[in-house]
This record gives sequence, structure tokens and C-alpha cells, in this order.
Amino acid sequence: MTAVDDTGGRAARAAARLVERARSGGRSAPLDTEQITERLGLAVDRVMGEGGLWAPRLAARAIRQSGGDLPEAAHLLRAHRTALPRLGVTPPVPTGELRVVRRISSAFRNPPGGQVLGRTLDYVGRLLDLLPEDEGRARSTAPGPDGNGPAAGPRPHAHEHPTGTPHTHEHPTGTPHPGTPHTHEAPPPAADGVERTPAHVLSVFREMGVVAPPSGAADPEPYDVTRHPVRPGAPRSAWLQTMARADTGSLLHLWYGSDWRPAGHEVPGELRHGALPVRMTHPVTGRPVTVGQVRVSEVQTFHSLPRAGELPMTLDVGYGICFGHNERKAISMAGLDLLLSHHEGAADLQHDVLLTLDGLDSTGYVQRLKLPRHVEFTSVLERARAARGDAPHTGDTA
Amino acid sequence: MNDQLTARLAGPPPQPGIFDELSKREIRRAMLSGIAIPGYQVPFGSREMPVARGWGSGGLQATLSLVGEDSRLKVIDQGEDAGVNASNLRRLVVSHVGCEEETDTRHADIIQSRHRIPEQPLRDGQVLVLQVPGAEPLAGIVRDMDEQRRMHAEADYAKMWVRLYEDVVHNGLITAAAGYPVLVEGRYIMTPSPIPRWDVPKLDRSEAITVLSAGREKRIFAVPPHTSVVPLTFEDRPFEVEHTPGAACRLCGSADTYIVQEPAADGRFTTWVCSDTDFCRRRRTGDAPAPAQPVQGETA
Repeated sequence: MTAVDDTGGRAARAAARLVERARSGGRSAPLDTEQITERLGLAVDRVMGEGGLWAPRLAARAIRQSGGDLPEAAHLLRAHRTALPRLGVTPPVPTGELRVVRRISSAFRNPPGGQVLGRTLDYVGRLLDLLPEDEGRARSTAPGPDGNGPAAGPRPHAHEHPTGTPHTHEHPTGTPHPGTPHTHEAPPPAADGVERTPAHVLSVFREMGVVAPPSGAADPEPYDVTRHPVRPGAPRSAWLQTMARADTGSLLHLWYGSDWRPAGHEVPGELRHGALPVRMTHPVTGRPVTVGQVRVSEVQTFHSLPRAGELPMTLDVGYGICFGHNERKAISMAGLDLLLSHHEGAADLQHDVLLTLDGLDSTGYVQRLKLPRHVEFTSVLERARAARGDAPHTGDTA
Repeated sequence: MNDQLTARLAGPPPQPGIFDELSKREIRRAMLSGIAIPGYQVPFGSREMPVARGWGSGGLQATLSLVGEDSRLKVIDQGEDAGVNASNLRRLVVSHVGCEEETDTRHADIIQSRHRIPEQPLRDGQVLVLQVPGAEPLAGIVRDMDEQRRMHAEADYAKMWVRLYEDVVHNGLITAAAGYPVLVEGRYIMTPSPIPRWDVPKLDRSEAITVLSAGREKRIFAVPPHTSVVPLTFEDRPFEVEHTPGAACRLCGSADTYIVQEPAADGRFTTWVCSDTDFCRRRRTGDAPAPAQPVQGETA
């Protein structure tokens, strides 16, 4: 065997060492995966969603390994997922079983089951916390005045408590650090009077008879986007899966910048975040057994889109769901699903949803521009010269 | 006893790593379909690889599905074995499968390449795996994927011909540079991946199998041995490969290989070197076929 010239390999290994140095060098303490899952839970959630794998610890490792580059971390998780065997397929779980830690409806002041504000940044002032480090730490160990942890910013921001709205916090017992994964995964029992599995607003609308019936063909066996490539014309399950794993920013942009978005806007009548059980059919008894749970964000959004020759009397429904707490993603997804369901056969929109939202695809495509391409470029230059006419036109004929 | 029985039923434990055996089998089936229908793009369930999509994730899946422990693997990028990307991919496959690294084209069983076909004519039994960033030759002509499929299915390539004709009318020549569209076995129009036009004739009636794999677009296509591959052109417009009169490799003096520009001592791009580093090395040691035409010597 000829000795392999390993110049490039040496350079690549040197680059890897520099990455490693940035990860574990420096004066600060090494980063624990537990710190990431506890303190940066939303990043972990996003990576699990885009990685298509529920594995908080592995996602934390991926975030650490990628130096906080979340699309890169999602790639690590996906590549790992590829190597895992498929042990089985779980039976479907109705999301009515979702045990909510947060549930709001912007369609009703007081929806059946109530509003559960839960943990959200929505009503917290976006003020950069400029407290000295030690003072900030001292405050964060003492529960805030409303039992909801530290008040961010130099001035304490009281949360709004509109009277008469049955609404509660996620951690009524004054847990010092809201958002620890284990509290998410095991919501407290309903002793606090909060309905943890409220009925969907959709069922209210159905009873009122104001919801458009589901359009399109039935789609009983879900399309598997990880095994079969998709193209426009794929069933709804394919676009829902694609969006659930999509890059959050791309999904948001596609919804926000879409020409298909109608005048007015949809109303997310149902936004919930909580835990769903994962079940397997027992191989012997044939009965479903709960083997774990995942947290999801779920959105049902409503809008009355006009149909030609029809009065807008019924509501269109859009559905969004993704791993973890990522409302931006679930709302964008529901908005796009509503458009896709309404505009059946809109090949352009389907093309964009199915083929441009995957974070691995788009980041890979842009990363690839960094690879050497002098072979191609030589060819391009030669054609440019030939077209200008300062090179012999005949070239070399083959 | 029971343990032995279950172990036997379960088969060998799955190799931890990049890719499971069932997935490899699926990729091999896609390749076989591609070989059975030369030039036809076979959709496949492209997996996520430990490299960015666009860095050879499709080629890597094809290679991993083909190599065994006793395979000799050559990986090149821009014709070089030593490039960062080529080294990286080779290291990845070798560490996963434990196959042999090879740089000599003649001794390689599988050659994964980005943008080049080696100068050394390939032989029977070899497989060339080309990385494909864009699989659809009609992509720049019609956007609708259903329409693209219809055009392929009905061999309705009129729009492609019109595009080439317009090119001639507007620019006086066909400006397609690398990735020149080809007709495979008189049936399917195919992109040969962004290889220079210099390499396109090497695909025609090659002794080896060429597998083209696009990981991001999830398509595999192939050219089996002894298959005609003809670049699209008009009767009065002979197909032109890259050629710079008077230029030759400054290292081996070849003027009959694909050469790329290099900065000379004065900092200007006036010298040329072979893009195929293995062939260039062999030329210098007299271990390569003689030039097909007289070597014109070094340029200034």
C-alpha cells in the first residue's frame, strides 16, 4: 500500500483540537450536562425537537459539544439517532391525555378547563438583569414574593394576576428554580384545583358546529419522512412530521413571510405544554404499557378562510406540535398547517414546507459552499473566457 | 440454553457507530435499482450522517454500504487524496469499517470522489461513488417536481434542448461548465455531478460502475459498466472540454490531464498543476500511461 499523504488529515485533527480547547480549556469549571438540562432547558428542548429524539441528557451533551450552536447540536442528535435500532412503534396517544403545566386559549376569556399561565416569559419585562453576580445569586436562592423564583431586573416585576381568572403557576410550592426537568416530567397532582387534562377548545367548536370538516384524503398510516423522501403531494402526516423536526427559525420565517397568509390572522385557540405518556404494546399481554413520557408543545389555531362561492361560516383548523417547550415553533407550524390544509394542492407552499425547512439540509447546503471547488471554478472560468472570445472557441473536442 | 437460543435468533449484536445493517441494505437496493435503470434517479431514505449534508453525506452512505473489511478505499476531493475533506471522510469510513486506505487508483476497489473522475481509466470491478449536490438536471428549467418526473418518464426533454439552443444564440456557445448534462444509454438525462467537462467522456462505456448519490436530495442514480453516456450538444456544436493552450502541469509536465491554476512566484495565477495528485505522482515516477499527446512543457 502506498503511504497516504495525510496533510489534510493533520489539519483536520488540529482543527478538532482547537475546538476541544474551546470546549474544555479556559479557567471556568467544566460544564455539567445537568447544568445544561436545568439552566438551559429551552435550548435542550429546541435541540430535541429539531433532532427528532427525546433524550434530554444526550441533547445537553450535544449542546456542550457544539459549543452552544443549536442547529449543530441538533445534527449531532440526528446522526446519533440514525445509528439507533428501531425497537418498535408506539400506538397513537390522544393529546387529550396531555398533562398540562401551561395551557392558554386566546379565543376565550375562560375556556373549559381554565387558563393555566404556567412558566412563560410573556409577561416578564425584557430588562437585562444587571444585578451584580453575587447579589443575583443571593436573590435566586430565595423564592420571589409570589413563589415564582427570582424577579428579573433591578426592579421586581410583579406578575399580573387578573382577578377572577382561574390561573395558577407551575410551581405553587415555591420551587426555587422553575423549569427543572423533573418537575416538568411529573406535574403535580390536581390537589391545587387545576384541571391538568382540560378538554380541547376544538371539541367546543365541534359541538357548536363551526369547524370545517377535515379536508383531504384520510391518512391513517403516518408517512415516515425519515425513511421515505417527500415531495409535493405528500399527505398531511408528512408535512406535520417535517415541520415538527424543522429548524425553528426557518419555520417561523416561512409562516411570517408567506404570501399565502390571509388578511387578518389566525387565533391560537389552544396552546398547551405538558407531558404525554409513551406506551408500548406489551408483547405477551397485548395491552398498552406506559414506558415513559415526553413533553410537548401543542397548538390548535383557528381562522375563517374564505372559499370561493361560499360564505365564511366555518373555521379552518391548523395543528402544531413539537418536542419540548417551543411555542414559537408550535404556533408557526399550526399556522402553516392551516394554510396547507386550506389550499389543497398548493404545490409551491408544499414545496417550501417539505423541502426547505430541515435544519440539516439548509445548514449543510450553506456549509458546503466552504469546501474547495477549484476544479469546478477552473471550468467556469474557462467557459467565461470562451464566451468572451479571448480563448479559441474550438477548445479541445472529445 | 435459552440464552444461546435467543442470542442465535437475535443474530449478531448491532455494530455501534454510524449506520445499521438494515439501512445499508436499503441503500444497496437503491443502488441496484439505479444500476438496473441507468440514469434514473431512485429516491431513498437518506439517513443523517456525521458530516454536514452537502459534504458528501450521500456518497458516504453509498460507500459505507459497499465497503467491507477487505476493501481498499480511495477518497478524493478535487482530485486530491490529501485534502481536508477527503482525509476526513476516509478517516471516518476506515475507523468505522476497518477497511484499507488506498491512494493508487489502480488498486482501489471503491473510489469516493467529489468533483473529479481519476485520470487513470477505471477497470472492471471498481466502483466510483460520486457526491452529488444537486441531483436533478431539470431543476433550473422547471421547478415543479411532478413536472420534472413527467418529463423524465416521457423522455420529454424539449425544454432542455431549448435551453441549450438559447445558450448558443445568446452566448455563441454552450456555457454549461462543470456538471454538464448527459444522456445515459439514450434514455435519461442525468447530471454527472459537478465534474469538469474534461471528465465527462470517461463515463462513457466505462469498465467500472459509477454510483451517484445525493444525500440532501435523497436520490441515488448509477451508470453500469459499458453504458453510453453522451453529453448533450448539437451536431454542429462539438462538445468542448476545458483546454488552455500551452498550459501544462508544472510538476509532471502533463498537458493531457485536468490542470488547475496555482499562484506562481510573482503571486499571479500563471502556473498549473494536475488536479489528480495520484496520477501526477505516478507520471513523475514513470508509473503512469504515457501522455496521449506530446507534452508541451512548462508555461511561464
